Amino acid sequence: MAENNSLLACRGICKQFGGIPVLKSVDLDIGPGEVHALMGENGAGKSTVIKIITGVYAMDEGQIFIDGAPAAIACRQDARERGISVIYQELSLFPALDVTENVFIGQELSRYGLTRKKEMRRRVRALIDKYGFDLDPAAVVGSMGMAQRQMVEILKALSMDARLIIMDEPTASLSASETEKLFETIDSLRKKGTSILYISHRLEEIYRLADRLTVMRDGENVGVLTRDEITPQKVTAMMIGHELKEDKNRERRHRFEGNRLEVKGLWYKDLLRDVSFTAYGGEILGIGGLVGSGRTELIRCVYGAARPSRGEIALNGRPVSRSVGKNIKAGFGLVPEDRRGEGFVPLLSIEKNLAAASYDRLASFGFVSRKKEVAFATEAIRSYDIRPPVRQLPVGNLSGGNQQKVVLGRWLSRKPRVLLLDEPTAGVDVGVKHELYHYMRALALSGSIVVMVSSDLEELTRVSDRILVMYGGRFFEEFEHEKATQSAVLLAASGQHTGEGAAL
Amino acid sequence: MNTKNIRRIISVLLVLILAVIFSFTTRSFLDARNLVELFRESALVGIVALGASFVIIGGGIDLSTGGIVTVSGLVCARLSFIPGIPGALVLLAGVLTGVVCGLLNAVLVTRVHLTEFVATLASGFVYSGLAMLIAFREGGIIQSRAITNASFTFLGGKIGGIYNITAVWVVLMIVMMLVLTKTTFGLHTYAQGSNARSALMSGVNNDFIKGSGFVICGACAGLAAAFVVAKNAAAPVTLGSDVAFEAIAACVVGGLVLGGGRGDAVGAFLGGLFMQLILNGIYKYNLPIAYQWILMGAIIVLVTAFDAQFNKLRFGQKKPRPVERKEAVV
Repeated sequence: MAENNSLLACRGICKQFGGIPVLKSVDLDIGPGEVHALMGENGAGKSTVIKIITGVYAMDEGQIFIDGAPAAIACRQDARERGISVIYQELSLFPALDVTENVFIGQELSRYGLTRKKEMRRRVRALIDKYGFDLDPAAVVGSMGMAQRQMVEILKALSMDARLIIMDEPTASLSASETEKLFETIDSLRKKGTSILYISHRLEEIYRLADRLTVMRDGENVGVLTRDEITPQKVTAMMIGHELKEDKNRERRHRFEGNRLEVKGLWYKDLLRDVSFTAYGGEILGIGGLVGSGRTELIRCVYGAARPSRGEIALNGRPVSRSVGKNIKAGFGLVPEDRRGEGFVPLLSIEKNLAAASYDRLASFGFVSRKKEVAFATEAIRSYDIRPPVRQLPVGNLSGGNQQKVVLGRWLSRKPRVLLLDEPTAGVDVGVKHELYHYMRALALSGSIVVMVSSDLEELTRVSDRILVMYGGRFFEEFEHEKATQSAVLLAASGQHTGEGAAL
Repeated sequence: MNTKNIRRIISVLLVLILAVIFSFTTRSFLDARNLVELFRESALVGIVALGASFVIIGGGIDLSTGGIVTVSGLVCARLSFIPGIPGALVLLAGVLTGVVCGLLNAVLVTRVHLTEFVATLASGFVYSGLAMLIAFREGGIIQSRAITNASFTFLGGKIGGIYNITAVWVVLMIVMMLVLTKTTFGLHTYAQGSNARSALMSGVNNDFIKGSGFVICGACAGLAAAFVVAKNAAAPVTLGSDVAFEAIAACVVGGLVLGGGRGDAVGAFLGGLFMQLILNGIYKYNLPIAYQWILMGAIIVLVTAFDAQFNKLRFGQKKPRPVERKEAVV
């Protein structure tokens, strides 16, 4: 498509961060009144593209055309003036203010220093009527559901004459019925000629909405599909690219049937629906699925950090407690997803962080044995090669990889019977990643149960002995290591059975 | 009917119920003179609470108002002894003292980037100390001296049966209600208290809003102090003790949420009235003053616990579930 017909055309956009190319000559065309989807795995560069279009980042090379004319977008204001808006989620609304006030914040109409509420309400009402939204201009945002809040965000964008609205995973926090409402809103925007750039991991949404789809992989644009060309097989193949043929015939791991974690009929809010599985000592059980499919909640329930509404969890036949403290004593460990927020205490030293979960062993009568603490930390620093090997250094000052080693080391030093990991290598560089895999494998070989949630398909298919893929709060398909390919796992995560795994 | 109105009715009912109880169980409560005095006594904490409401709605807290009341009061007392000085000028000086104190708080918070709690806790000590420095002394010992400047003490009196300070309090409430609900400044105060980061992104000048809140708060404290000193014709160095916390408590009881974004001037007004009502009632029952504190504490706990549940009821139709790992697009 020529630039002339496009509302927004990006040509050859390049961007590096610290010498590492993140975008390698990306092209993107969005037509007027088009819902254009953008897909790609984590790290493919979608977010970077958006940030460049909206003026948050400056590009190193390339050009942006708006209505066929070259446009410089140096800051967010530039983007806004050219009619490009991003829908932030709950982030940017004011719960205490009403719809009108939220829409007009920062650009209120006023006369003699007083705001012209009636006039603002009238304009918001006109906008709501034009697009047929189900909103009351006087309603307080704090009392609304997520879908309605998004509508307010969209209204805000429209009030600034937005012609292109960017939505990044807009359904991540919506229920099914709310999602349908959002889709109706998008349809009505399209009818009025507003373009949408829609970023999502969910194939079924792309199916339902997109006029065209651009797929990105490793900072490159790997292709554009029109509506009738979009099929799950095609899209996943494009997202994953050429899959390396690995040696899948590695030795069958020995299962320690004696160490067994059983979960039966687990329900949690509307996120987990009747989830059952058994994990065995000796194996690394991978749990795949899209963000929001219930993976994190599942392992948090097992750990005792979330309270399931129904279901049984048992370790070797004995019911697991609902208290984290008791579970740790019983041999559980969790490496959480939010490393900085939950994984470690940034201001505390390496040794305190390492010892944090083991004071039951390092103290007697409530008094911590300093000698034991130091020995414990020194041993862990050596075993897991934490760098720099300085016990007193605050963990907040370490690199991401070493921080994760501290978090992992805290549990490994206790020789846990069950180690639960949530996105264990997110933000960790490749070298350290392999070290972490090595430690996880060593723990499994010693007979412990290792359960790993991951969005990294390569990691999931390589490291796991068995993969359970979640979809909509349930297990959808199970793959043995030999049969697990990235595209099959991705399809399963999108609710498509492949035949390579066992449907659950 | 929206939440705001429901919460308002609850506040008014609280005040009315207490008033009804007192008027039936004591002989002198529903007496015109008692009511006039009640509204005068409430005005100090009430006016400070009105000022503090700007800071609290904007998401902050001001612990220095007690110090500001004391130092402003003593400035007024000192100045009133200048022969021939008009009372209005003394009043103005009191307000200005409050403004200067508020400005200093604003600088500490928006320029030095101290947290509001620490900044105003510290500055409050300083203001109280300054007040002692300028206090009257006899033989080196701080002594409150009776003020005889008639044009100043006139301010502490009544016009048309109502104390000036009461009238000022009511007028101030109306003005602040207008400012909070009808002006861009007010809207931005709510926006900041509701979601500061997003307010910044929407073009709200957070530092200005925050700083102005402290200045308004300081000015109110200075104003209230001047009227109280004029009424009592004296300015003890204990003038403002407990005022800071009572004002915050009044705001909380009146439906302002610490953390920002909710409540308004009428709420702060009712809260101030309510606090004094308790004191007045306790006094009428001839109970020891200890019960005032216990009752106040208990009521604050009850009201905030209620508010938490109430807000959940109304605001939590469907709790947005935490968004897992999202690359923030900012």
